[in-house]
Amino acid sequence: MADTIIEFQNVTFRYEGDEGIVLSPAVKDFSLKIGGGEFVAVLGHNGSGKSTLAKLANGLLLPESGDVLVDGMNTKNEDDDIKIKQTVGVVFQNPDNQIVATIVEEDVAFGPENLGIEQSEIRRRVDGALKIVGMYNYRRHEPHKLSGGQKQRVAIAGIIAMEPRCIILDEPTAMLDPVGRKDVMNAIKRLNREMGITVVYITHYMEEACEAQRIIVMDDAKLLMDGTPEEIFSDPEKIREIGLDVPQTCRLAEMLKNSGIKITGNVLGIDELVENIDSLLRGQQNVTSCN
Amino acid sequence: MIKDITIGQYFPFDSFVHRLDPRTKLLFTVVYIVAAFVSNNFVSLLFCFIIACVVVAISKIPLKTVIKGLRPILLIVIITSLLQIAYIKTGVPLISFWKINITSGGLLSALFMALRISLLIIMSTMLTYTTSPTSLTNGLERIFAPFKKIGIDFHTITMIMTIALRFIPTLIEETDKIMSAQKSRGANFENGNIVKRAKALVPIFIPLLFNSIRRAYELANAMTCRCYNGGKGKTTMNPLKMSGRDYFAVILTLAVIGGIIVLNIFCGEYNAEFTFNAAV
Repeated sequence: MADTIIEFQNVTFRYEGDEGIVLSPAVKDFSLKIGGGEFVAVLGHNGSGKSTLAKLANGLLLPESGDVLVDGMNTKNEDDDIKIKQTVGVVFQNPDNQIVATIVEEDVAFGPENLGIEQSEIRRRVDGALKIVGMYNYRRHEPHKLSGGQKQRVAIAGIIAMEPRCIILDEPTAMLDPVGRKDVMNAIKRLNREMGITVVYITHYMEEACEAQRIIVMDDAKLLMDGTPEEIFSDPEKIREIGLDVPQTCRLAEMLKNSGIKITGNVLGIDELVENIDSLLRGQQNVTSCN
Repeated sequence: MIKDITIGQYFPFDSFVHRLDPRTKLLFTVVYIVAAFVSNNFVSLLFCFIIACVVVAISKIPLKTVIKGLRPILLIVIITSLLQIAYIKTGVPLISFWKINITSGGLLSALFMALRISLLIIMSTMLTYTTSPTSLTNGLERIFAPFKKIGIDFHTITMIMTIALRFIPTLIEETDKIMSAQKSRGANFENGNIVKRAKALVPIFIPLLFNSIRRAYELANAMTCRCYNGGKGKTTMNPLKMSGRDYFAVILTLAVIGGIIVLNIFCGEYNAEFTFNAAV
């Protein structure tokens, strides 16, 4: 984490209410640093301010007080607007409302075309972006004939084609079926691992959040927790208190613990948990009669 | 029912017609429409018909699809034909009953109009069948680019067209969904008089309108995120280029209009009586 890509400095933001009604802030005195190459998941229940965070991070919304710095550029500075949006791309929840063109590859080209990039370079970027999300074979298709997961991957390719250093995904899998969700998640992991793109992944699926290196939990417009998945889910009670759930693996480990079976170490991944229980069974066959 | 709409649909095949520059195709379509309108005898119209057949044949679009495209205007064709039969009284009287007299002139003229309208529709749908909406709007944008000097920015208009075309299937799908939702709660769209049925549509249009506004807002955000700034300094991945086949098509286009003029002069003005007598 050599350099910081996005930095929130005591940011407060509130949406405008109807005539004279002052709404409570959507984000309150929020500070956060996200480094290059990180994979950060943002958790929080509805209305906790996580979507607002995404829009603040690339200048779609401007803070009421405090500053948001993208690669050192302040989002309040209008001259840097295009550069900021090129550095931090945002993918939203509904893929249907993000696709502009009527042919997949023409849609992916929309971003680079707006940036005034030369023709052969656009071609290279579009092909590259479609390949990394696994949609290259669909490049001549019409978006409305694709499935939800495929559409969302096209939307992600549209952002990648601008070659951003950071990509923010605002609940990109909320409207998808389990298969589409898995495909999108795999594409995102590839972006982070193979291309070194910083990923900020806003979600309310705990299992997805566990894929990240770092989890940020938001509650009531404020930052509540910040740590690795293991640290965050080590205290399931605290997570439940703010209306969130813990991953299934975590729940199983907790239930085992409560019934007197000692489980130690990482229990977030299914494989790790299986291994953990397995070694436990082997070692304590004579002590506990499980199952 | 709603899903049957084929106007504005694009069939992504690879053919000579598909590969033509959209500007060439636009020019050809306009010229063809004019030619079909100025054709004043059956020989000229036959010439138009042959051209349409050739274009359909080399475009690889299935004939069934082309004919299906005529369905929405079938009613117009029938009404026009009936009017021709009812009002044109030249030629030999054929059938006469009550107050209606059908003459040979009327019949031929009905046939003439039906053929002309069908050809016009076939060739305009061929334009959208073989040209992707994006390249069509690109073509329009390029053709109207000079208007920017007098303050009309065609880029905005073509952007609106692209988005409209892009969202037609999405909104149709949504309409179907809302209708199903209303039906499942007992709404009735099929029965009752016209006022009743129109009233039943209100609960469909309100959510549809509301959702469209929300969609527009989200799309605007997504476009901003992709650095859209009104087309300033925009480049394109597939710039339009006129190639050899386009010049060839332009020459063909000129041949079409030339051919029609020649045929119009030599075969004389369409004359029902004469044509009928020649036919028998």
